[in-house]
Amino acid sequence: MSGCEHAVEYVYQYLDEELTLTRRARISVHLRRCGACCDAFEFEKHLKAKIAAGGKSEPPPELFDHLRALLEQERTNEDSGS
Amino acid sequence: MADRADFERDAMEFAPQLYSAALRMTRNPADAEDVVQETYLKAYRGYDSFQEGTNLKAWLYRILTNTYINKYRKAQRRPNEVELGELQDLYLYRRLGEQSGATESAERTALDMFVDDDIIEAIDALPENFRMPVIYADVEGFTYKEIAEILDIPIGTVMSRLHRGRKALQRRLWDLAVEHGLVEPEE
Repeated sequence: MSGCEHAVEYVYQYLDEELTLTRRARISVHLRRCGACCDAFEFEKHLKAKIAAGGKSEPPPELFDHLRALLEQERTNEDSGS
Repeated sequence: MADRADFERDAMEFAPQLYSAALRMTRNPADAEDVVQETYLKAYRGYDSFQEGTNLKAWLYRILTNTYINKYRKAQRRPNEVELGELQDLYLYRRLGEQSGATESAERTALDMFVDDDIIEAIDALPENFRMPVIYADVEGFTYKEIAEILDIPIGTVMSRLHRGRKALQRRLWDLAVEHGLVEPEE
């Protein structure tokens, strides 16, 4: 397998920091020598960051109040039940 | 052993993240809040069995996932185990590269054309068994091991679903760019 094929196969595990040190080092060496793979890895890294930011949604402001009321209700039920 | 009296103090800070994940799963704000409320109720009731010092966030996500599956898969009658076709590695990068010609790093600049709504639409379009690993890895930042525990599937399955799910997400982003007239569809 060429260095490029090896790098592309493990691109996600590399970016997710899920590789063994040896494999990670081997890919890092390749990236320093290969502009094309380096560019592709940078792209995937940016896309991952974009998904992380874009995939988050804010909860409705009353969520905390609803949850606290729910737990309060549960405690009241427990007290009256025991 | 954890104490129920500490539950609110310990668990409440995760509510916004759990809501966001629930919304990606249910794709509906009212259902998302229902799932989060049920999750907190179950977690509170079971907090005595939570081992203090272990991963509370992952424990809550596991309850959230099971709550979602029990609530919504019943309605679908059977698990939604969809297969995805094989796609080329670095799918979006290669498609965008064909557009931009030889300009250096043009693919990365092209990513700016995607807005948050595109990202959400692309995640929402993923079949459920791929959507969850992608949300948990890319949006919530869990490790493969944590995702395997949350979803109760082997780590190898997490990795293969993540791999194919991410490629499918890239394919959807490409299709969205074509639909919006931002790129030239290939022939």
